[in-house]
This record gives sequence, structure tokens and C-alpha cells, in this order.
Amino acid sequence: MKKLSFRIWLFIVIVLLSLLSIFASSNGFTLFQRGVLITSVEQNSSAFQYGLRQGQIITAIDGKAINNITDYSNYIQSKFPSLNQTKIIIKTKDLEAILYTNNAPNITVSKIPKTNLKAGLDLAGGARALVDAQGKDLSSSELNDLVAITTNRFNVYGLSDIKVSPISDLSGKRYMLIEIAGATPTDLRSMIENQGKFEAKIGNQTVFVGGDKDVASVCRNDATCARIETCQQDSSSQYFCRFTFTIYLSEDAAKRHADITNAISINVTNPEYLSQPLDLYVDDSLVESLLISKDLKGQVTTQIAVSGSGTGATQDDAYKAAEANMHKLQTILITGSLPYKLQIIKLDTISPLLGQNFVKYILIAGIAALLSASLIIFIRYRKLKQSLTVILISLAEIIIILGVAALIDWNLDLASIAGILASIGTGFDDQIVILDESLHKTAYSIKQKIKMAFAIIMGAYFTVLVSLLPLMWAGAGLLKGFAITTIIGISVGVFITRPAFGDMIKMMSD
Amino acid sequence: MEEQQNIETGKKNWHDKHYKTLLIIPIVLIIFSFIYLGIFYSQNHDFFLKDISLKGGTSVTINGQIDIPSLESALNKQFGEVNVREVSDLVTGEQIATIVETAASAEDIKAFLENYLGYKLIEGQNSSFESTDPSLGKSFYNQLLIAMLVAFVFMAIVVFILFKTPVPSGAVVLSAFADILMTLVVVDLLGIKMSSAGIIALLMLIGYSVDTDILLTNRVLRRHEDLSLNQKLLSAFKTGVTMSLVSLIAVFVALLFIKSFSVTLTQIFTILVIGLIFDIFNTWVTNVSIIKWYIISKEKKERSE
Repeated sequence: MKKLSFRIWLFIVIVLLSLLSIFASSNGFTLFQRGVLITSVEQNSSAFQYGLRQGQIITAIDGKAINNITDYSNYIQSKFPSLNQTKIIIKTKDLEAILYTNNAPNITVSKIPKTNLKAGLDLAGGARALVDAQGKDLSSSELNDLVAITTNRFNVYGLSDIKVSPISDLSGKRYMLIEIAGATPTDLRSMIENQGKFEAKIGNQTVFVGGDKDVASVCRNDATCARIETCQQDSSSQYFCRFTFTIYLSEDAAKRHADITNAISINVTNPEYLSQPLDLYVDDSLVESLLISKDLKGQVTTQIAVSGSGTGATQDDAYKAAEANMHKLQTILITGSLPYKLQIIKLDTISPLLGQNFVKYILIAGIAALLSASLIIFIRYRKLKQSLTVILISLAEIIIILGVAALIDWNLDLASIAGILASIGTGFDDQIVILDESLHKTAYSIKQKIKMAFAIIMGAYFTVLVSLLPLMWAGAGLLKGFAITTIIGISVGVFITRPAFGDMIKMMSD
Repeated sequence: MEEQQNIETGKKNWHDKHYKTLLIIPIVLIIFSFIYLGIFYSQNHDFFLKDISLKGGTSVTINGQIDIPSLESALNKQFGEVNVREVSDLVTGEQIATIVETAASAEDIKAFLENYLGYKLIEGQNSSFESTDPSLGKSFYNQLLIAMLVAFVFMAIVVFILFKTPVPSGAVVLSAFADILMTLVVVDLLGIKMSSAGIIALLMLIGYSVDTDILLTNRVLRRHEDLSLNQKLLSAFKTGVTMSLVSLIAVFVALLFIKSFSVTLTQIFTILVIGLIFDIFNTWVTNVSIIKWYIISKEKKERSE
């Protein structure tokens, strides 16, 4: 056995580290884990209060082992919804949460990923929106404010598996990018495009607006002060359900309320109430008019009941619509209005169904391409050992690229995969150059030959590298995936795998 | 091997006589490409047809099996020009989804399709929607063109730094340019609608085409072996053609597999296949003739001095 060179050792160590980066997690090797992964927990839900968090792994419920998604959904479906408050013990790797509830816990779960690799939107499904302020160029600090408010709004709304980030493109224009993994919320478009400007007015005087300046707190997820009250069928056989929830005004807003109501007379035809109602506007359209009880006239009251309704073809639909409307109203009351009117300029909502097949097919296509390329090399050079080394190196290159992708938390989308293919392709070319130089019958030593091969390889490397740079910024950064993976790929090739390949060829020819 | 050598030797003599004449082919092709693209531009106001990712519009992928011809005719009546494609399973060949591409907005096409299919399309579940605002498509397009241009200029600078001599460096840059130009003409002739992925493929072509040219130039200019110019060219040719053939076959095989399901990757790979074929031509005809001419005239000049 000949001694392995430093370059070959470096290569081996980096391949092993890459495998660790792909497969190892804090809980051990991802391949061998059982259970289901919590992907989101609704904030302020009982599940959240008892310590369940995104990223934890549920291993058992009520003492019954949960090995996969089917186990989980079967068990939860058999238990909920129940008429009475039921005890449920959810065991994760780190804790046991005991909940009393009559509904399924407000968490979403998925199977534990087998690797640390993250698939991009076009492969894993999800939604992505590129958002622009209408008729305004955002400055960098304005954009950051917008991102903060939007993130907060999504979190209050109960969407936690969401990423909001500021981006800018080659022309210096700034956008907000919203990415949601997994299922697309049905009302995503309206959630983003509606500014969520809430105003409560009496006549044309504003009593209070949404946001923490006027609204001290909002009751939600608590049936004693936020609930669906009644459901009825109206004359056109539509159902409608009314919701009501309590909010608490700040001192200032309460005082404003007192001042304004003080000046209003009592209704003559309906003497229990004041002559003018409290009108609730969302984004400048009237959503509800509430009658004001005469007892509130001139009172500094901080507690106000807000109500509204939802309609639907069936009672169930109407109930759900009312719930959704209540949720939206609560959200904008808490978070306040967005500073700008937004417009979605790109919206992608991708079903995960096709992507799962894609990954499988791409693997098949990749293997077929690799094998056919290796076959050509074997036919051309008739050297089995060297040809096999070419395959080995190419596989190692894929492993290292994926290892780096896992390390930097990169989402692999179709463009990234094209990038991996591109770098494997140039890798093949470079190895042919090395192989060809080394097999060349000249007076040069093998060391010199490989040095000459590297002169060509480095030249090609730098031309490709510089030609990829502009892509990092063009197209609002959406093509970054391709540029990044290709740059990682060709750099790994030139600095790690090719030197090792050169040494291996040297060993074979000695 | 021996036999191949003889054929190459025969070609060599022939090549010595005709290498300048051979340059007529790329010159004619380049001129034809310019004329064709000029006509194409005057008709379409662009150098290639753009898909909805660059023009704005909506692409809907509906999971499941749908009869494509009848859907297409229904869509055509309502929306004018609409593109309908099938996505099929790689193994069974069965239809697994349908892709509809239209300039219409997501809301309009969704309403129409729901009406046509008789069921609700739930975004991100039984269907996927990708919609791009025309303004964004336009800005994407402009930026990608700038990116291409900058990439090309960067590449040219690196090549000039590498070889430091204007004619051989110019030959490398010219062949890369000719590759892209000729590929673009074929893309137009095939009626391919370019997406941002297609432009990425053109960018990839810069890299793929330059490496064989660098190999050639390096072997000819930098090697101080006791080999004749023709021997150097021949050795570079053997290596370079192996490189291109390997890439070509790998990309072609991948294309065969990917064609059934991924529009994005199909476009990238189609463009690469076309480009790699032109690369073989441009490296071993265009670039070789120029560099041979350059070396021979340089040697003549040195001798006369």
C-alpha cells in the first residue's frame, strides 16, 4: 500500500465531514430517527404554553409510540374532536406536555426529514411572494420596518413557518420576499395585499385605530371573551354567524372615546342607544356598525366589545368564515396597519406532490448521465481503475456540494440542481484534462504533466467563476441558487477533488 | 489507435492547405446568424421569444389527468394564445399533471379552469400557481441581459489576462460568442420560449465553451515541447473532443430522462446540447484556424527578421 498524499487525506476528510453535515443532527443520525417532527405551533395555544415548539420530535402520545405521520394522524383523529375536555400526553425527546383540550392540538407535524438537506419551493412545495410597495421606492430602513411589521402580523396570525426577508436586485430596487414552507394559506394574497388599516369612527371622528398605541390588548383564543355567538339563516337561505371579542383600549383612546360620545345625543327612536353608531373600517371600507349603549356616553371606558360576522352556504361554512374574519380582525387590531399599500408582483404557490417525484427522477437522470459519461471515458482510455476513479470523484463532488448546502442551510431548488449538474459537468472535463495529460507520452514527469493540466483547469475555473458573479444579484436574487451551487461546486472541484484526483492518477501511474 | 492516427495524419495535410478556407464556414454562419436575428428582432421586437417568467403571466400546474386537446381548445377560445403541456411519470409514462401557461392573471385563469374542470383548485395542494407581474418580468429580463453581458465581458477579461496576447485571446472570446449566437438562432428556429432558466443555460454555455478553447490555446501557446504545431493541435483536439463528447452525452442522456417532467431543466439541457455541438465546431474549426494562422504568420515573421 502506497502512502496517501496530503491532498488525498484532505479529500477523504472533507467527504466524511460532508456526510456528517448531511446526515447528522443534534438528535443523532437523521436516518435512524423515529417519530414526527413539529413544524409549527400556534402561538398562545395550550400546546405552546406547555412547551411544545417547532423542531421538536414527538415520539409518543399517551404512551403509544408514534413512529410516523400515519400513527400520529390516526391517533389524533380517533381522539378529537371530543365533547369533553380530554387529557392528552405528548412526549417529545425533551419533555412531556400534558394538555387538556377538546380539540386536536394546534400544531402541524411532518415526517422527520432523512437528511439535513432542504428542498426549495419548486421541489418541496410552499408559497413565495415577491412584494413591492405600491407607487413607492422603499429605502433600506423603510423596507426593514415593513419586514418587521409583516413578520409580526404573520406570527400573530399563527403562521410561524414563514420567512420574510428584504432583498434588492441589480438595479437597486428593493422588495420584500415572503416564503412559506408547506401548505399555502388560502388567503395569502389578501393577507399581504390588504394593508390592514383598522379605524373605529363615530361620524367622521376617529376613536381608535389598530396597533398597540390605541389598543392595549385583544382577547383571543379564550372562549370567555372571544367567541362565535349566534348562527342564523337569512331570507336568501344564506347562513351567517356573528362573532364578538373584547378589546382593551389605551388610556388615551378611552379618553377620546369619552370626549366624542359625550357630545352625541341619545337616539330618539331607540332610546337605549346613542344616535350615532361606532363604525369599524378596514382598509377604508365599512365592515361593521355597532350601536353604542347610552350608558357609555361620556364614560372613560377601556373595555370594548367588537363584533362582526361571516356568511356561507352552510352553517359550517358560515361558522368557519366568522372564525376567519374574527382572526383577521384580531390580527390587524394587534399589529396595526402596514405603513404602505403593498402589491404582489410575483406569487408562486407550489403543490408538494409533483416535487417529490421530481427528486426521484432527477436522481435517476443524474445517475444515467454519470454512467454514460463514465462509459465514454472508459471506451476512450481503456483504463478501468482510472475510469472508476472518475466516477468516485464525481460522486464525492456531489456529496461535498450537498454537505456545504446542508451546512449553510441552503434550499435546493431546480436551479441549484442545474448548478450541481453544471459543476459535475465541468468536473468531468477537468478530469479528462488531467487523465489525458498524464497518459500523454512525453518527456515530462507525471508531476509536471499534472501541473500543466492545472494551468488549463485554473484558467477555465476563473472564466466560469467571473461569468457567474452577476447572477448573484440579477432577477431579485431568485437565481442565486444556481450561482451559489455552481460556485461551490466548481470551487470544491478545483481546490479539493481535482488535486486529490491528480495525486490518485500519479499513484496509479507510478 | 494506429488506424486513427493515420486518418488524423491524412487530415493534417489537408488541414494545412485548407484551414484558412475553413474559416469561411464560421464567417458565413455568423453573418447568417446576424441577419436572421436582425429579421427576428424586427418581427418580434426581441432576440428570442419569452415565456411568462420574463413576459409576465401565469403558469398553472394541475395535478392529475386531464384531456389536453379539449382543454387547449377551450382555453384558446377564451384567452387566445395559451400553452398547454403534459407532465408524465418517468417510469410509466402516465400523465401526472398538466401545465397551462397564459398571459392572463392568476385570478382569471383560476376562475376559468375551476369552471371547466368542475372542481375547486386549491393553490399549493391540487394545483400550483406561478404568476409574474409583467413589470417584474420585464425587469428580470433586462437584468438577466445585463448579467449575460457583464458575464461575457468578465470572461473576456480573464481570457486576455490568461494569454496576454490579443489574437489567441480574441479567438477564444470569438468562439464563445459564436457559440451563443448560433445557439440563439437554433433556439429561435425551434420556436423555444425562453425562461430565466434558458438565459442561465446561455450563461452556462460561456463556461462550457471556454474550457475547450482554453485547453487548445494553452497546449498551442504555452507548451514548449518538441512537437510540431499540428501535433499540438491534434493532441488538444483529442482531449477536447473527448471532453465535449462526454459533456454532450451526459447532458443528452439527462435530457431524455428529464423531458417528461421538468420544463425548466428540459430547457436548460436542450440549450446546452445545442451549444455543445456548436462548441465542437467553433473550437475545432473557428478557433483552430485562427490560432494556426496566427502561429504560422508569427513564425514566418520571426524567420524573415
